[in-house]
Amino acid sequence: MILRALRVAGWRCFASSVEVGPFAEGLNVLYAPNATGKSTLFEALLRGLLDGHRVSGREMEAIRPWGRSLSPEVSVEFAHGGSEYRITKRFLEAAFSKLERKENGRFVPLAEGTKADEKVRCMLTRESPGSGLARPKHWGLAQVLWAPQGDLALGKLSGDVLTDIRASLGTQISGSGMGLVEKKVEEIYGQFFTVGGKLKSGAGAPALVRLKDDLQRARHRRTEAILQQQAFDETARRIEELRAYRTQAKNDEEVIKKLLREVRSSARRYQELSAEKNQRKERLERVEAQYNGLKSQLDMIKLARQDCKECEVLLRRHEEDVVWQRHEVDSRIKEEARTKAALEDTRKERKAVDSARELAEQARRYLESVKSLTSLDKQIGQIEKARRALAETKKERAGLLAPDAETLRAVREALRRCDAAQVRIDAALITLEVTPESGGSLTVVEGERTGNVELNSGSPTRVKGSPEVVVELVGVARIRAWGPTGSIEQYRNERTLAEQELDKLTMPFGVADIEKLEEIEGQARRLDRKVNEAQTRLEALLSGESGESIEMERSRARMTLAKTLHVHPDWEKTPPDDEILQMAAQRVRSSFIDKVEEAERRWEIAQSALSEIAQQEAATGAKREEATKQLKQLTDKLAKLSADGKSDEEREKELGEAERKRGEAKVRFEETERKLLEFGDDPAVAIEKLEKKLEAAGEAAIKALEDEQRERGKMQQLSSLGTYSVLVRAEEEIAKLEAQAEGEQLRVDAVRLMRDMVVRCRREAVSAVIDPVKERATRILRRIAGGKLGYLALDESFVPVAVIPGISGKEVSLESISGGEKEQVYLATRLALAEVLAEKERQLVVLDDVLTATDTGRLARVMIILEEAAQRLQVLVLTCHPERYRGLERANFINLEGIAGGKEGR
Amino acid sequence: MKFLHTADWQIGMKYSHTGEVGTRLREERINSLRVLVEIARAHEAEFMLVAGDMFEDNGVERVLVQKVADILATAGMPVFVIPGNHDPCVPGSVWEHPAWEEAGNVTVLLSECPVEIPGGLLYPCPIREKYSGMDPTTWIHNAPRNTGDIRIGIAHGTVEGVCQEVQEYPVSRNAAERAGLDYLALGHWHSLATYPGEDGAVRMAYSGTHEATKFGERDSGNILVVEIEGGGAAPVLTPIHTGELEWVVIEKELREERDIAELRAQIESVKTPGKALVDIRLAGLLTTAGQRELSRIREILESGRFLFGRIDAARLRPAPEDENWVAALPAGVIREAGSRLRELADPAFAGRRTDGASPEIAARALIELYAIVSEETR
Repeated sequence: MILRALRVAGWRCFASSVEVGPFAEGLNVLYAPNATGKSTLFEALLRGLLDGHRVSGREMEAIRPWGRSLSPEVSVEFAHGGSEYRITKRFLEAAFSKLERKENGRFVPLAEGTKADEKVRCMLTRESPGSGLARPKHWGLAQVLWAPQGDLALGKLSGDVLTDIRASLGTQISGSGMGLVEKKVEEIYGQFFTVGGKLKSGAGAPALVRLKDDLQRARHRRTEAILQQQAFDETARRIEELRAYRTQAKNDEEVIKKLLREVRSSARRYQELSAEKNQRKERLERVEAQYNGLKSQLDMIKLARQDCKECEVLLRRHEEDVVWQRHEVDSRIKEEARTKAALEDTRKERKAVDSARELAEQARRYLESVKSLTSLDKQIGQIEKARRALAETKKERAGLLAPDAETLRAVREALRRCDAAQVRIDAALITLEVTPESGGSLTVVEGERTGNVELNSGSPTRVKGSPEVVVELVGVARIRAWGPTGSIEQYRNERTLAEQELDKLTMPFGVADIEKLEEIEGQARRLDRKVNEAQTRLEALLSGESGESIEMERSRARMTLAKTLHVHPDWEKTPPDDEILQMAAQRVRSSFIDKVEEAERRWEIAQSALSEIAQQEAATGAKREEATKQLKQLTDKLAKLSADGKSDEEREKELGEAERKRGEAKVRFEETERKLLEFGDDPAVAIEKLEKKLEAAGEAAIKALEDEQRERGKMQQLSSLGTYSVLVRAEEEIAKLEAQAEGEQLRVDAVRLMRDMVVRCRREAVSAVIDPVKERATRILRRIAGGKLGYLALDESFVPVAVIPGISGKEVSLESISGGEKEQVYLATRLALAEVLAEKERQLVVLDDVLTATDTGRLARVMIILEEAAQRLQVLVLTCHPERYRGLERANFINLEGIAGGKEGR
Repeated sequence: MKFLHTADWQIGMKYSHTGEVGTRLREERINSLRVLVEIARAHEAEFMLVAGDMFEDNGVERVLVQKVADILATAGMPVFVIPGNHDPCVPGSVWEHPAWEEAGNVTVLLSECPVEIPGGLLYPCPIREKYSGMDPTTWIHNAPRNTGDIRIGIAHGTVEGVCQEVQEYPVSRNAAERAGLDYLALGHWHSLATYPGEDGAVRMAYSGTHEATKFGERDSGNILVVEIEGGGAAPVLTPIHTGELEWVVIEKELREERDIAELRAQIESVKTPGKALVDIRLAGLLTTAGQRELSRIREILESGRFLFGRIDAARLRPAPEDENWVAALPAGVIREAGSRLRELADPAFAGRRTDGASPEIAARALIELYAIVSEETR
């Protein structure tokens, strides 16, 4: 649609009729200050094209000009589908609507009333507002093309505008009935799944969920039934086992009883043999003791005889040793005496060692005294020199009278007070400056200095005074000047006091100049420093001692030297070498020590040898005594053993007889023992065990019977339950539920797949439509704002929702970008959509006071884009800032204020 | 001598694949016993032999034991029963129930001892545990024989030659001849089976179960009336059908549209639908027209006309040559979605499958989508 002209009357601020137009087919800028009706024209355009003429109500009433009873009227001339139309509508009173079409150069009526309304509306939208006012959702393509005042943002597009856009893009997303089938698919999907895609639960859950719950419960019942059935089978098996066990226990009992009878018979025979064995054992022990006694006597006699012989031999050997050891002791006593005398002789050489050491020590002390005396002479000389320097510096300092630092600070303070008082005096004086044009004089009547003062032409002359200055210019005037009255006398007194104190402070130094005083003070400080330095040097030379003590030390050194030279007068000419003397003394000492140690070692050896042989002599004596005593004991023992008076042959014969008897007794005993061993263990033990076994078998049979009865009771209970029948019912229910669940699962899966497939196809189809718009809008946005914002993201309704900067590749919400950029995003999208819609027919784009947040630089680029867009679109910009659009050279500028006031703009 | 040979009543058995009608089917098995007793009387049988597995398990409800004993008590003839591998003689077994003693005419044979019967001797082979590799008839070989008596054996086991991984209670093919029996009444297998000897005479046979137990069970639902003139004479066997339930299995691969119409005709031709269990398993290709017919069949099966009805259409795929699956969908997103679902429904589809997009699920999804559109455009 192309707008040709617009006429309004009785419409808000336009009480009289105002006609705007003709509009150019390209770019139009309608400008006027605020509140002159730009947006009113936009409103009239919308109402004229989209509202029914019969609409009424508060919103329509508000359109009437204030305080007037006019009926709002609008007439819109436009081109559409190759024809020129004019729609004229009046609202409220005497409402009418008339549609005319230009035929042969003039408008001819085409339709009236509601038909006229409907015909025009259908040219723009298929969405009817009904009997009410048209809302943006009824605007059709104008939702995209017309931006109301300051509202460039693109809301969610509705109705057939999406279809129109998609149709313009040449893509058929789906045919008629699309909505119904898709809704039905969603509805069925919603019966099964939540919005998040999960299977529904709770009251609205699909049958599958209930079936699965039932199945779980049925499986639980089956588990219980299986357990019962197993218990049934297990109990049957247990009863069979117990029955077998009971039978076995009875059989065992019989076998044990038979065995017990046999074992008891054996036990009797075993007891008889055991008694016989004990008798034979006693006999064997008796004859064995007899044999052992005889054998022992014979062995002891033989042993005693042998021991006597050995003892006699040993005694003889000890007596020989005693004689030899006495001789050896005497010899070693002599040797010990000899080595001791040699040691004493060696020790007498010690005096020579002491003499050599004394001579070396005297030489060392002599040399040290010489060295010390030289050092002391030098130190005393330096002390004297330092004392003289100190005295001279002190004398010089005493001759200089200088102020100290405290006095200097007081002088400076007095000077500061003098200066401050002077500054205040100068400030308190009134100054009168006269610059004559020609020479002359003036008389100072009141001032700091009264009397005549010469005046020079062009040269300023100042007169000061307080509290006033009065001058007379002879023949001209008496001039009096006064000012703020201050206490100038007080300042003068302060200055006088300060000057007096200054005089008092500086008088002793004969000079009042602060700089000179500071110089004197500096000189005094330097002298003080020199005194301190001289004192420090003297103290360093004394090293904490007094001069007298150093003198005494030197006297002591001289005396030591004189004493040594008295003993060794040759040392004065040839001083001794203390190191050589020290070495010689060391050599003499070492030699002496070696000799003494050798003599001591020999004496110790002699002592040791003597001690050793003396000990041996004593030990041999003791052994001889011991052997004598032992020989006597052995002789006595032998006599006692042989007291029976028998010969050795007789004793041997008795021993042979005892051995034979012992052999016989042993054979009999072993025979009995062998018979007992044939029994193995004592049958009494076996009897005890068998009796216990018999008792246990009886108890086992009873217990098995009791257990069997208990299990039978349990079996009775389980039988009454019909465990298998319970299991059968549970399994049949599970089979039934599983079959149903399988069928339901297939349906659920099929519904999910069906819905997912529809959604996927729809997404792909929508994407195919949106992508071209997205690309166009992105291109426009990049031309305005550069590449920083990256790509635009549009939702399925072509509404921009985010930008995707190339740097991150992630979506950035429009809320996160600046107001200006947001405005540019919406403009780019609207223009892109408008270009799509204008491919078949030129369309009108209205921008009512938008781009308020866009800066000048970007606005310039917007101008270029608008000019380009105007080649395919009719663009109408409504603005109160026409200067911002002056760059649009090919635009048609319309001054609304001029039209409303009877003037025409450019 | 004339008697009735039956076995494997499996009273209290489980029906896992018949939905909610398990209880009803169990009742039918008991009801059939009354028919069986009437047949015995009608044929003037002198006694009745039940060759094991009278009950499905020893843990069945005791009320079932009582019911069976009550029915047998009305037979008016001796009834000889041996325990089978399902109801072996173990502690707590159904045979300890007092109902058997109360019945009077029923003898539960629990030991391998010959028992006198009208006109001869009965050699019972009772079962004492669920599993065993022992031939239960072996003891009869060494049992004393009297010339002239009619010797009847009753046993429960597997005759050699039956294909089974582990031979439970194996019975040799010539067991009757080896044991010198005139007839060996067998139980364990549910189908009627006879074993002719070298002379052509049938001296051992399975009567099979008196009422079929599942879909696809062959030659079941019978009993045998056995007549023997004297010792050594060839027995005369008369099978009588006792099963009242009809187990119908229909496996069909749909290729053409008329296939499904034939199927509908087939199930509508079942004579006693109230006693029929129908199991339909479909594969092949489904057209949009066939889909409507399939819905009709489902309605019939779910209407309660049959004792039980089930249809498995999971292996059906939308017929690729039927463009209606996609063409009937609205152009645009829905048609595109339908087209892709049809591709995924093809098991030979070579493209990428997303999770949960198996051919079975995709086929079902397309059918659902088609149904929505059909509903909306109706």
